[in-house]
Amino acid sequence: MLELVGAWLLRPNVVAFVILFLSGFYIMVTHHNLIKKVIGLYILQTSVIFFLVAVSAKTGATVPILLPGANPVDVALYANPLPHVLTLTAIVVQVATLGVSLALAAAIYRQYGSLDEDEVGKRLE
Amino acid sequence: MIRHLPALLFMIPFSVAVSLPLVGVRHRQWCHPLALGAVAAMSLVAGLNLGAVLTYGASRYAFGGWAAPIGIEWLNDELAAIIVLTLSLLTLTSLVFAGGTAPRTLGGRVVPFYTLILLQSSALAGVVFAADLFNVFVFLEVAALAGYALVGVSGGRALVSAFRYLILGSLGASLYLLGIGYLYAATGTLSMADLGGRVPELLTSPAIVGGLTFIFLGLAIKMAIMPMHGWLPDAYTYAPDAVSPFLAASVTKVAMIVWVRIMFWVIGPNASIEHIPVVTFLDELGAITAVAGALLALTQREIKRMFAYGGISHMGLVLMAVSLGNPTALAGGVFYLINDAVMQAALFFLAGAAIHQSGVRTLDELGEFRGPAWLTGALILVAMSMVGIPPTGGFFGKWNIILGAIEAGNYFAVGAVILSTLLTLGYFIRLFERLFTAQPETAPSHVTPPSLRISVAGVSAAIILLGVLSDPIVRVLLELALPDGM
Repeated sequence: MLELVGAWLLRPNVVAFVILFLSGFYIMVTHHNLIKKVIGLYILQTSVIFFLVAVSAKTGATVPILLPGANPVDVALYANPLPHVLTLTAIVVQVATLGVSLALAAAIYRQYGSLDEDEVGKRLE
Repeated sequence: MIRHLPALLFMIPFSVAVSLPLVGVRHRQWCHPLALGAVAAMSLVAGLNLGAVLTYGASRYAFGGWAAPIGIEWLNDELAAIIVLTLSLLTLTSLVFAGGTAPRTLGGRVVPFYTLILLQSSALAGVVFAADLFNVFVFLEVAALAGYALVGVSGGRALVSAFRYLILGSLGASLYLLGIGYLYAATGTLSMADLGGRVPELLTSPAIVGGLTFIFLGLAIKMAIMPMHGWLPDAYTYAPDAVSPFLAASVTKVAMIVWVRIMFWVIGPNASIEHIPVVTFLDELGAITAVAGALLALTQREIKRMFAYGGISHMGLVLMAVSLGNPTALAGGVFYLINDAVMQAALFFLAGAAIHQSGVRTLDELGEFRGPAWLTGALILVAMSMVGIPPTGGFFGKWNIILGAIEAGNYFAVGAVILSTLLTLGYFIRLFERLFTAQPETAPSHVTPPSLRISVAGVSAAIILLGVLSDPIVRVLLELALPDGM
């Protein structure tokens, strides 16, 4: 048990990711307010992006631009740009999702006059 | 020129989609012909592309001339070409159908409807072609976002279904992205070809198994496999009638194609079955979905909801077939997937036509429905295919799945096919019982627009053609569309 806790403490990033992911999921599942559900989803998506950044972090590396005089073969000097580009794209997707979800929530509010799931459900009948 | 056909398949609908809102500001009536023209051109290019692939063999398309693993690559093989041709032809018939119903059902939101439908069909082509897991994610999300907006495009009750669909669909996408992160951390690549070389050696590593589990969970939400199907029935039932056929024919099917790609092109056909704990019970999961989906369809009162559950049940059959892991079952599963896309489109066309004709939405209202003969005839044909009666495509799909299940020695799967077939027969009997004992009191209130007849005739012809041509199609799938080493 202690060894497991020790292994976790050595990887604070992963622990942070798990906490963020689960809290986002918890908010998304338990809250009845549509905006709070969107917030939960946003935290969950951010945690995944955080995970992508965390696993690709590299200490002592620099931006992958070939400086004059630098040895281009020395991989240890440079950070891999691919995960960061993926992360940027994932953030764009996340923002687009947020936009669509807020637009839908606003349309639901205009139509049914409430953001509460149960309240909207009652007015649907 | 031939080399660039896959890129054209994406660019034609995409460029029209982004220009439609500008055209629609002043000339609303142009939207329908423009969208129709774009998808007709896309279908033509998809046909040419299939011809080119069958003649010259599979090819890879590197964007900007940067070959993988540095650049982004599309794999244009037989499987992708066949699926994209099916999708674009079904989009074309859906647009023809929409021409007749859209003005009434969309409540004036004609421009967004055509824009979104084109955006989604371009993204779906991207999902099928993409040979890179992250590229698949981006296209899946573009398609999904267009799908959420399409469900809610006309407002009303569908907005709530669209919101629910969005929350669950985005959860699925996040799980898929997390799985990609795991695979990337373990292998350092995202290209399917590279992963196919590295993953089979690492199958005992927890990172790979965890990553594949997350990817499957994410895709299962998009495929609407049984415990994760909650979004689908509401979304398809309350979506505008012009939208449901297109969504039902495309979204879940494309997610299944992605899973087939990962299972057989990344994990590898031989490694799949024995080593990964998640994959070993997928055929049981598919079988449960097939039976439970049909059982739930039997209990529904709303016609569109019944058809939606029928679609879930058929996706379960396809998942079960591709998980059996032998060529016969895989080819049968992919062939059944094509049939299912056509049948789902046909069912929602018919449900939409019935609503358009006399406002009939539930089985009870069907008792007062006097449908025109062509509608009843087409329904009988689709029902035959759904149940699996010989001259139709559905029979040959199920036949190959059963052959594959026997080859795999999996009699549980054979039982599931037969049980789900009986239950499918059950819910169609319920439908026909109401339809044939109908005591019509009122005449149909609206004259059927010719576009409804054309689209229904199109899918009916496709169902018969798939039955007649099942032999060559299955042979192409068996000989050319399977991964290496199978």
